[in-house]
Amino acid sequence: MSNLHLEIADGKMNYRPGEMVEGVAFWELPELPKLLELRLFWRTQGKGTVDHQVVATIAFDGAKPTDRRPFRFALPAEPYSVSGILVSIVWGLELVAEPDGGSAGVEIVISSTGEEVRLEKKK
Amino acid sequence: MRARDNPFRTDRVLSVRYQLAEGTFDGLLDRFEAMGRRAAIVGPKGHGKTTLLEDLTPRLRDRGFTVRELRLDEDQPRFDRAFLGEFLRSLGGRDVILLDGAEQLGWFAWFRFERATRAAGGLLVTTHRAGRLPTLIETTTTPELLDGLVGEILGRGAPDVRSITRGLFEKHRGNLREALRELYDHYAAVEA
Repeated sequence: MSNLHLEIADGKMNYRPGEMVEGVAFWELPELPKLLELRLFWRTQGKGTVDHQVVATIAFDGAKPTDRRPFRFALPAEPYSVSGILVSIVWGLELVAEPDGGSAGVEIVISSTGEEVRLEKKK
Repeated sequence: MRARDNPFRTDRVLSVRYQLAEGTFDGLLDRFEAMGRRAAIVGPKGHGKTTLLEDLTPRLRDRGFTVRELRLDEDQPRFDRAFLGEFLRSLGGRDVILLDGAEQLGWFAWFRFERATRAAGGLLVTTHRAGRLPTLIETTTTPELLDGLVGEILGRGAPDVRSITRGLFEKHRGNLREALRELYDHYAAVEA
C-alpha cells in the first residue's frame, strides 16, 4: 500500500510571486519506485483544452521506501492564480511515485495579493 | 461559478471512462485478436471512440503489446511525411498501432498506410464510418447513457437534471461531448 503526503510549513496556501513555498514530503511505499519527485506546476481547468506546465521539480534520489524530505521552491512571477467563467489557472504541488506508486497533491494560490484573481462577468 | 468549480470542466469530463453497453473489455480484445488484430472502432463524433481507444491501451499493454499511438484530427489531418516514414520503419511484430481519426485520411493515403502497417502486430483505428477495416465495435449513445455520465460527474445527491439532458441528447443528436459542453455553460451561468 502506497502512502504519499505533503505538508506545507504553517499550512500556508497563499503566496506572492518570489516567495518561498516550503514543507516536508513523506511517504511509505512497498518498494522504492523508479521515480519519486515533487513537482511545482500550474494547470488550467475549465471548458477548453487542458493546459499545464511543470515549472520546477525536486527528484528525491537515494530515498528509502519510507522516508521524509524537506523541500523548498521559489515561486515564479507568473501566471497568477486566476478564475473566470471559462478558465481557471490553478497552482499546485504534486508528489509522484512512478510507475503506479500513486501521488499526493496540494493546491496553492499565487498572486500579487495572495488571493486568487477573479475575472467577473460584466453586469 | 468559477471554471475550476464547474462540474463539467474538461478534466472532470475526461475522467469519466467508456462504458461498454454489453460484454467486457477483455472480451472485446479477444475479438480483436480473433480478427487478426486489424479492426476499427466505428461511430459518429462524440460517441466515445477516443475514450474507448484510450481505455483499451493499458489492457493491450497488459497483454504484452507495445502500443504505438497516432492521432489525426481536423487541426492535423495528415501525417508529417518524415515522421511517418520513421514511424513505419520502427514497427515491430508486437507493436499495436492505435490510430485515432482514420477518417481524416483520403482513400489513397489510407490504402498506403494500411499496407505499410501490415508488418505491425496490430492496427486498431477509430473512424466515423465503417469500411476501412472490419468493425470491432460500433459506439452508440442513448439518453440513459448521458444521464448515467451526468450522474457520475455530479455525484451522489446531485439535482436531477434529466429534464435538461433529454433535450440536449436530441439537440446534439447523441453527441455526448457536445451535450456535456453545453452543460458546462448551464452551470457556468450559476452564481457561486
